[in-house]
Amino acid sequence: MISEAFLSDAAARLRASVVAIVDQPRGGGRGRASRGGHGAGIAWRGDLFVTSAHVVSAGKTIVVTPDGRAIEGSVVGRDEDRDIAVVHAPTASLAPVTMGDPYAVRPGSLVFAVGHPLGVKDAVSVGVFQAVRAVPQGYGLAERRPRRGRSPLIPWVQADLRLAPGNSGGPIADVEGNVIGVAAMIVSGLALAVPAPDVERLVASLG
Amino acid sequence: MTENTTFIKVIIVTNSLSSIAALSNQLADAVASAGATLVAVHARPRLPSTGVHWKDGVVVTTEGTIKQEEDITVTLPDGRRIPATLAGRDRGTDLAVLRIPTGSLAVADLGDPAALRPGNLVLALARLDEGGPRAAFGAVSATGGRWRSWKGGEIERWLQSDLTIYPGFGGGPLVDSTGRIQGVNSGALSRPFATTIPVETVNRVVTQLLERGYIARGWIGAAMQPVQFDKRAGLLVVSIEPDAPAAKAGLLLGDVLVAIDGESIESFDQLLDVLSGDAVGRRVRLDVVRAGDQRAIELVIGERPRRPRRRSRD
Repeated sequence: MISEAFLSDAAARLRASVVAIVDQPRGGGRGRASRGGHGAGIAWRGDLFVTSAHVVSAGKTIVVTPDGRAIEGSVVGRDEDRDIAVVHAPTASLAPVTMGDPYAVRPGSLVFAVGHPLGVKDAVSVGVFQAVRAVPQGYGLAERRPRRGRSPLIPWVQADLRLAPGNSGGPIADVEGNVIGVAAMIVSGLALAVPAPDVERLVASLG
Repeated sequence: MTENTTFIKVIIVTNSLSSIAALSNQLADAVASAGATLVAVHARPRLPSTGVHWKDGVVVTTEGTIKQEEDITVTLPDGRRIPATLAGRDRGTDLAVLRIPTGSLAVADLGDPAALRPGNLVLALARLDEGGPRAAFGAVSATGGRWRSWKGGEIERWLQSDLTIYPGFGGGPLVDSTGRIQGVNSGALSRPFATTIPVETVNRVVTQLLERGYIARGWIGAAMQPVQFDKRAGLLVVSIEPDAPAAKAGLLLGDVLVAIDGESIESFDQLLDVLSGDAVGRRVRLDVVRAGDQRAIELVIGERPRRPRRRSRD
């Protein structure tokens, strides 16, 4: 029997650690390319938040906490190849997420995402895990010009999960709420996320 | 004290997670067991399709994903890539059958699609590479009776779900939450919905394709046009092919077909129903109206000649 609680406990816990990232481009934005955008971010540990590199264009950004506080943060780490950025926001003081191991998740296991798809705050979407490996040939990723981590051989967490713009930088988690990846993009309808161990490596390298 | 605290924590975590974690585990079990019967079929450039090891030595996939009839290979769950031969294909039901050496992998555990109801949780599975099986998750959206695909094939049961058929998922199975295979998913039969060719249709088509490589379709060799006359309706014969069953039976241009074996015929669909299934070779009585008089004509349904296959563009 499925209880009424279903995913709500794990989702509530994870939502408390997810922020909105509002980009603060230098010079107030000179056209689309420099404008950056709104995305999601994850309280990773301490005062450090993880988001997608394509969400933050400049050194400063605004971190909006679940209780509505807008805090200035600074980008302290960035890996364009992996499409990951690390933001330092000292006064946000949110509970950090727990990290899961995507390589231990079995195909077909339930996973969920938290983000702000199309501006809907802290929205939860549910689906199933597919794989963590290179995106299959023919999905339109390998064929694209490799940029910003789009090299065909890099492993991605792949899930049958409905994402939209605004999910970028947000978590994809297992049923217990452990974060297995950071949502990055959608290719042929498939949700792609940066594997959590790769994110941890970048955060750890910042000391 | 510390032990007590830990104990309480475990209880809380278990209570809030057990049902959802159990469902997640059950789905992963279903993917693992059904996934062990799947191969990746390499019969087109770049993107493989999925094949189900339907019975020992026989793999089923979708017809539309077979772009080459020679040099086909399949990737097994253990990552080995072995040759396969095309046993037959049927555009109408979008099914194709391949032969591989027996004993290559586990055989599909087939379910009974008649038991599926809208709202049942289901998975679409695929195998695209030497990695594990892939899954999409959703629910049965609608079920229904017999229907005919736009490609002309008869399908015993309507089975539609809200699953995403990702690239390469065509030919893969619809799997229920216990891991039983309920049919083969086709993205081509009714895009954008995921339509499943149910087990009974796959069984019937596989048997015929293994026997002769194609599905024999009934044929009388006459072109017709629906007409209404004297407050009745029928099919007006507008052309007859030489040496076809219609010509041999003595059907003439201008005859209006009004009934077959006593059942009135007013539309092409009704005629196609008579010509489908095991129609070839069956003797039927046509009631035709000729020059105002109704008369009966005996006709033996023939087999539709097979046209040479056009090079597929899609």
